[in-house]
Amino acid sequence: MAGTLSKYSFINAKLRARISKILPDKVFSQLAKAPALDEAIAVLRETPFASLEGIYSETGDIKQAELEILKNEIDLYRNIREHLHKDSVGLVDALLHQFEIDNLKNAIRIFFAWKNEKQSIDTSLHYLLYDRIINDIPIDIIANADNFDEIAGVCEGTPYCQIIKKYSHTVESESSLFRMEIAFDHFYYNNLISSINELARRDRTIAIRLVGVEIDLQNINWIIRLKNFYNLPLDAVLATIVPGGFNLDRNVIDELYKTQNVAFILKGFVNSKYPELSALLSSQAPDSTSRLVLIRRMLQEIIKYEVQRILSGYPFTVGIILAYFILKRDELTKIRMILNAKQYGISRERVEGMI
Amino acid sequence: MFTTEMIQLFAVVLGKDSQRVTEALLHEGCMQFVRSTELEGLKDLSAVEPEVSLAKISDLRKRIEGFLHTAGFIPSTPEEIDLNNRVSVDIAKENNRLDEIAAERTSIRERQRTIQQEILKLEDIRRQIEFYGTNLSDVKLGAKHSLISLQIGTFPASNAKQLENALRDFLLLTIPLGNEGDMAHYLLISMKRDNQEIQKILTSVGWTQIEFPDNLQPVNKNVFSELSAKRKSFSDEQKKLESKADSLVKKEATQLEETWVNLRVNELFYKIQESFASSWRTVIFTGWLPLSKKERLTSEITKACGGRCYLEWNEAGSKDVFGNEVPVQFNNPKMFAPFQMLVSNFGIPKYGTIDPTPFVMPLYLAMFGLMFADVGQGLVLAGLGVLGMFLFKKKERKEGMYHLSWLIVWCGISSVLFGVLLGSFFGMSLFRPLWFDFHGIVSGHSQNDSMINDIYDILLITVYFGISVIALGLIFNWINIIRTSQWAELFLDKGGVIGGWIYAGGVYIASYVISHEYKGLPSGTILFLLVGLPSLLLFIKEPYHFLKRSDAYSDSKFGTVTILNFLMQWIVGLLEIFTGYVSNTLSFMRVAGFGIAHVCLMISFFTLAKMTSGIFSVIVLVLGNILVISLEGLTAGIQALRLSYYEFFTKFFHGTGKLYTPISLNSR
Repeated sequence: MAGTLSKYSFINAKLRARISKILPDKVFSQLAKAPALDEAIAVLRETPFASLEGIYSETGDIKQAELEILKNEIDLYRNIREHLHKDSVGLVDALLHQFEIDNLKNAIRIFFAWKNEKQSIDTSLHYLLYDRIINDIPIDIIANADNFDEIAGVCEGTPYCQIIKKYSHTVESESSLFRMEIAFDHFYYNNLISSINELARRDRTIAIRLVGVEIDLQNINWIIRLKNFYNLPLDAVLATIVPGGFNLDRNVIDELYKTQNVAFILKGFVNSKYPELSALLSSQAPDSTSRLVLIRRMLQEIIKYEVQRILSGYPFTVGIILAYFILKRDELTKIRMILNAKQYGISRERVEGMI
Repeated sequence: MFTTEMIQLFAVVLGKDSQRVTEALLHEGCMQFVRSTELEGLKDLSAVEPEVSLAKISDLRKRIEGFLHTAGFIPSTPEEIDLNNRVSVDIAKENNRLDEIAAERTSIRERQRTIQQEILKLEDIRRQIEFYGTNLSDVKLGAKHSLISLQIGTFPASNAKQLENALRDFLLLTIPLGNEGDMAHYLLISMKRDNQEIQKILTSVGWTQIEFPDNLQPVNKNVFSELSAKRKSFSDEQKKLESKADSLVKKEATQLEETWVNLRVNELFYKIQESFASSWRTVIFTGWLPLSKKERLTSEITKACGGRCYLEWNEAGSKDVFGNEVPVQFNNPKMFAPFQMLVSNFGIPKYGTIDPTPFVMPLYLAMFGLMFADVGQGLVLAGLGVLGMFLFKKKERKEGMYHLSWLIVWCGISSVLFGVLLGSFFGMSLFRPLWFDFHGIVSGHSQNDSMINDIYDILLITVYFGISVIALGLIFNWINIIRTSQWAELFLDKGGVIGGWIYAGGVYIASYVISHEYKGLPSGTILFLLVGLPSLLLFIKEPYHFLKRSDAYSDSKFGTVTILNFLMQWIVGLLEIFTGYVSNTLSFMRVAGFGIAHVCLMISFFTLAKMTSGIFSVIVLVLGNILVISLEGLTAGIQALRLSYYEFFTKFFHGTGKLYTPISLNSR
């Protein structure tokens, strides 16, 4: 078995160099300040995202630029995968599933919108990924399918076939993709945790902690969504919760769901688990929108804290890979969010509040 | 050897003269201001409020810069004439102008986006046809997974426009096949899922479906050419719109550039005034400038305010200066620029201490040359450096690359010189070495007619070199300590006189042992005087700091723990000195190591070349030289830098200085 130094010394140096190139907060505040989309994209000229300017000025279509970002992100995972020791490759493959699942979800949403609501789907079709990510999935056929049987048929041989078959009736009876999407998420995290279990002990501990925090965040996101839009009973909520969370046990989830003030419970959670972040809690959120923003920021800070913990700890672990992916995803999410906000003319103050 | 001597100006001028004085200060561009908030004892004075918010000016300037960049314009730095013609800018009006351009550009982008949707539709259809229905003659479009529906039909030609309009929102392609009388024939390619909706529209225009002819090959060709033609027409339109968006800025570029320059001048002007403090009638400012600029600035300020001013000059270190830090301006000839880059990359020397740049140049090049001694390869390296210089010359943002290219040229020259001394040309011994035959020694064919006859002699050269470098570092440290009047540190510091004493003693003992073939040590008295006595003297360090109540002992009381602490610190300090100096000295042996590796690599390539013949041996040698130049060149450069930073700089260089950055028209 290879030692941690030989496994991670090269990738550690490579990723730390790449981390130094992640856009600093200053660039995001410049982006937020830009009065128009063209000007925001011009801010990215001197950054690794310079190619977006060319795409946007040629097409006028920010979604095309976003698609480019997504393709680059997938390439990034593949590129890093090439430099990894074989013991860590499975983890990156598991992480790559998230792109495939998101793409599949989007294709199914297009199909579902067309079937159920007769909404025009042509525009959305252009922004799907048609190239293979992990499995051979004919995205064209899924988006244009007649029914779920056809979708399940073309997904035969992939892990998604059974999920689609299992939940197609529920989706049709409830007229909502919610349960199927949750099942896809469960598959993603279960698969990720299985790949983590294959890692060496030290790597496993680090990865479980980081992915556990991610799962917590995902669960909190679901709880907020379920509470605000679906108002499901607690048992139904608990069925949707992804297992493997790091901090949120059943009691906290119970409390989070029952309370009228999710932010309040989250404050308690942050105070007990992350006292270093308690400064965050001083801000007051008068309305529900601001509360959601506050909650989102808390969650982001928690994950940032975990990433910093990894970066300042023992360097030769799988943690550096996960930390890089998280930082990179955060960077790309912010760019997408700001560019979209500029496209829709959202005010500078609101954009600044979101980043 | 030392950085530029600086002086601080403390000035009081009348409020009514402040505009002219600010212009004079900007014109001279030599002052680094101390912010008004740092003016101790003058806290009652208020800051000078600029006429326009500096942040607003700055934002607008950056916004215009963004616009100009999109059209490929890079605004040039303001000149003296721009300062003389400075006018205030109507921020709101300029922002409105930019908003108008932005709005027009956004509407163009919206049109571009619509066209892009059409292009994407065509690409979707092409993809579908290529995947599932590549052969129209077989009419395989009905295959299980094809999403394409294909039909040929005829309808009254007068309804063609109506049909085109009604189908606009669908993902489809209509190809006119020709007219027969007043009836039009069309090929329609659409998505199967839209069949129901499309059928309704077709019925409304009087569409009659026609059976597919047996051979559809011409139609097949037609589909792709039609797709390409439509795609091209959309792309052309897209390009037109793109250049239209560009021209929006281009046609305003001259005016925007003028505004940018004016804003930049105003921004710098208000930035200077930001450091002013004002009372009812006067304005006070202070800042640092090189001593050589004192006379000229005095005359310019006096002229600007008609002699109604009070100017006080304070030397660095004087108790009257404001602020804690004196900015540092390097004072080196231009040829040292690449080495100054290496120094500033490590840190900026503290004001009044030694700037190592002039010493880094010979040391770095000597180390590089010893590791990479070859006339031919050095010439290639120098050539590459010259190429880089031409590429990066006069490119504002590539200054670092330009200096790096210069550094490569210098390294190339050093390789050539050492190549002549050690007799190597692309790894061949074409001429007699002036110093010693490096290749001969490494390959075991030395003539033994030089002072350097074996690998140990080469290693010894680098050890002597290392001792000299470390000694130089220690001397620099003493000079720095004397200049900053830290007398106790001069003796008690790890790199102080006592540290140097131990090092010199260690060097003597090591050479004595070697000269006595590792069989004897100097007498006990000499050993005590060389190493023992200074080691004992170092014990004074901690009690001295305790008595002086230095930071580490500010709150501690004397007791057993303190004594143990003194003892512990003394032992750790001694260990650091002994192990540190030994490892620092031996570290220089890497120079010989890499030099030997360089020769070995060349010998290997010659051996490989001998195993082949003709053109192949030439290819092996060429590839070998390329590999050695790129790999060894990089390694030698990095190792020489590492030795400079960690074995030389750490002895005396703290890098805690602040670079002198005056506000001038050239400020970035």
